[in-house]
Amino acid sequence: MFANRKIENIEQEVMEAVSLARKQQPLLNAMVSFMEVDEAISEAKNSNGKMAGLPIVLKDNVLTKGVRTTGSVQILDNYIGAYDATITKKLKDAGAVIIGKSALDGLGMGGTGTNCHTGFVHNPYDLNRMAGGSSVGSAVLVASGAVAFAIGSDTGDSVRKPASFVGIVGVKPTYGRISRYGIIPYASSLDHVGYFTRSVEDAALALEVLAGRDDKDMTSSTREVEDYLANLNGDLRGKKIGILKNVIDAIKKDQTLALFNELIEKCVNAGATVHMINMDQTRLQACLPVYYIIANSEATANHSNLDGVRFGMQEWGDSLEELMTNSRTKGFSFLLRKRFVIGSYSLADENQDLLLRKAQKVRRLLVEDYKTALSDIDVLIAPASGDVAPLLTDTSADQLSARYLIAENHMVLGNFSGYPSMTIPMGKIDGLPIGINITAKPFEEQVMFDIALGMENLTGCKNMTAEVNV
Amino acid sequence: MERINKQKVFKLAEQLMLRLSDEEADNIIAEFDTLLKQLDLLNQIDTSNVEEMIYPFEEPTSFFREDIIDQVLSIEDALYNAPVEEEGYFVIPKVVKD
Repeated sequence: MFANRKIENIEQEVMEAVSLARKQQPLLNAMVSFMEVDEAISEAKNSNGKMAGLPIVLKDNVLTKGVRTTGSVQILDNYIGAYDATITKKLKDAGAVIIGKSALDGLGMGGTGTNCHTGFVHNPYDLNRMAGGSSVGSAVLVASGAVAFAIGSDTGDSVRKPASFVGIVGVKPTYGRISRYGIIPYASSLDHVGYFTRSVEDAALALEVLAGRDDKDMTSSTREVEDYLANLNGDLRGKKIGILKNVIDAIKKDQTLALFNELIEKCVNAGATVHMINMDQTRLQACLPVYYIIANSEATANHSNLDGVRFGMQEWGDSLEELMTNSRTKGFSFLLRKRFVIGSYSLADENQDLLLRKAQKVRRLLVEDYKTALSDIDVLIAPASGDVAPLLTDTSADQLSARYLIAENHMVLGNFSGYPSMTIPMGKIDGLPIGINITAKPFEEQVMFDIALGMENLTGCKNMTAEVNV
Repeated sequence: MERINKQKVFKLAEQLMLRLSDEEADNIIAEFDTLLKQLDLLNQIDTSNVEEMIYPFEEPTSFFREDIIDQVLSIEDALYNAPVEEEGYFVIPKVVKD
């Protein structure tokens, strides 16, 4: 925990974090690069900021001036940040000490941690398992105990799913709540900055540091940032908790449902009321294809500037076209090239009505359904996934089943809608953590944090770390 | 939707300035088969008279700012990452041939 705790010996705390992350690296492979910390430690010693002296990690798609920022792709392998992202600056101003940049599925495109330029990232609870993605390295480093806070980004569920798989808190605030200036984009209408902590209190404090209007990101909100930590109240009496029943119906694992039902019973005993919410099943099953079409289309456009001419890796050619083609072919993994081709297919003139515009229309219907679902309740909840983290070798998911389409992908509703959404641990199954997802109305992060705290008090799943035998 | 063919996949890749091997193109076609089945789910949904949703919120957050220079990337910083640079310019293969 770092909320309400003054770090007395900053140098010691930072160097311990660096040392632990380095020791764990051969097993977890969560870090892309370690940063020099001496100057940041000196500055932190003179800081009165809310994170003074706190060692932290940034996902390697967050720009850091003068420091390598790869986005986990070959084409940016040698890229040095030309400026600090707004959140990098905010975190430095708050006294945080950035110890390194963490691994991600390339450009944030992936949910397994197996598509990172630096290789597979391993779950600290079981090295043979995935830790989710795309913000996999940041999630793992918080769960392993190396750092208490790390930055991620969330376009589909890229903070909230890994948080579930490694037993920590993962927050994706309202769209526009945190500036995205200086983040290597994936899909602009879905991208959010998110972050990981090991407690709800830390999560509340962190949003105070990160949130706020930034004229450099014209999608950022002008709304005032609240005192989330000071106002935090975990009293569940009178709170209205909705359960997304479609997700519950799609989950086949009894142990997941048992953990969930146990928590619900405790919430009721603590004074909350519980309401079953059904959304249109046909529309919900379309979440994943809607996501793929919109995200891949936007990504295809966003990454057209990665061409090997002005920055990044270059493969020379006899013509400009050949140089770009050589650089892009070598610079992107097959998975990324595949996604770009799929995105380009949706963007083609003859397919735009049938695919992209159709997906954008279904997105509106889904968001309207979601708004209605939340209209008479405080939060909407569901297990963050149907099961614990899969094995690294597992490719068995039936991509047309309700279990896959709904139970494993419902959190993308938070990205379609922009509503604040977070995952906290709800317990363990055979020693492996699994989380619960909590979503609130736009800009009602305080309500979300309050109910999350109430639930955290009931589960006792706070400050959890995995034992990694280094 | 029609099943995509290899020729179309190669064409799309070329437009994106990407190359694919034969095996990679086959893999993409196989993925399209799953995607097209998922797209059938989309087509079951009536979207008559529904407007596209581009961004989550429609409340305005952008505005015209004063025309004041407040953020400048120096030439040195702009060229720092250039793979090949000469006298303040990015170097590319010769465009106008002899």
